[in-house]
Amino acid sequence: MSGDNVNHASNSKGISLPMTRVKMIMKSSPDVSSINQEALLITTKATELFVQYLALSSFNNGSGKDNKTLLYSDLANTVEGTETFQFLTDILPKKIFARDYLKLIEENPIEEADN
Amino acid sequence: MEEDRSTTDASQLTLGISGEYMSGGYVLQSQDVSVPNDPCFPRNNACDEDDGEESLNDHDDGGMKENFREQDIYLPIANVARIMKNGIPQTGKIAKDAKECVQECVSEFISFITSEASERCHQEKRKTINGEDILFAMSTLGFDMYLEPLKLYLQKFREAMKGEKGIPGVSVGEGLGEELTDDSFTNQLPAGIITADGQQQNVMVYTTSYQQIPGVQQIQFS
Repeated sequence: MSGDNVNHASNSKGISLPMTRVKMIMKSSPDVSSINQEALLITTKATELFVQYLALSSFNNGSGKDNKTLLYSDLANTVEGTETFQFLTDILPKKIFARDYLKLIEENPIEEADN
Repeated sequence: MEEDRSTTDASQLTLGISGEYMSGGYVLQSQDVSVPNDPCFPRNNACDEDDGEESLNDHDDGGMKENFREQDIYLPIANVARIMKNGIPQTGKIAKDAKECVQECVSEFISFITSEASERCHQEKRKTINGEDILFAMSTLGFDMYLEPLKLYLQKFREAMKGEKGIPGVSVGEGLGEELTDDSFTNQLPAGIITADGQQQNVMVYTTSYQQIPGVQQIQFS
């Protein structure tokens, strides 16, 4: 591959996500016909920023005994408590152990609709 | 590592009986949290490096898109995990289910931004989503804190590209896609990009050599 200058330019900014895959995800949205190169670039970079932001927010939110590990529950809590992350609530439900859930049902005997 | 956990098992647990009567919405968690490794969605990029990635890239988007639902396409977990690690203090660790979860969030994020940008695009009767649409979408959706760094990044990228003006066969290199191989892209400048109505759009051309030659952009078909 030629173009060392460009390599340095883009590597020093450091995109470490595969843009082809990002493009694929973008195109899977309905009614998306084509995506310009800058749009793809910005989206990829934005995704990196998003990941870092989500990770750090959740990490700082960490409540568990082990403060050094980022847990799923940290993510779920952060998403619930941050307005910008509300779009993630559906894919980040809080997890509960089955036994606790059953206990909850026992204590709150509400008829559940058919799922 | 349990990779052959039956799908029904885990999917019942994760898709769950959501506790609608509770304020939050819970989902059942198994003792050992792990997510089924379904070949339909290449989560563990390590295993699917050859199969998953190449099969996703070798064909036209049109063909493969049919086979993947929006929520099934993820970015490689190794990349996602690496970026997460870069975001948190060095001593921090990340639970496996947290990585997988962020992987899903990422796809959701991309789709979220894209559909917002796409809507704006349609409103303005344009067919190609450009950088401005994305920036606008981010600002609308509450990610305005990213705007400045993104604009800066874009500016630097544009300057870098200008620097390469007139040099054919310029490739962007590993930074912009480790999976770009010669086999992946056989299409050169599809005709549809330069539209008959003279629209000059800086549309992404997926070739192995990244060509940003002004002469090409100015071709008009009348």
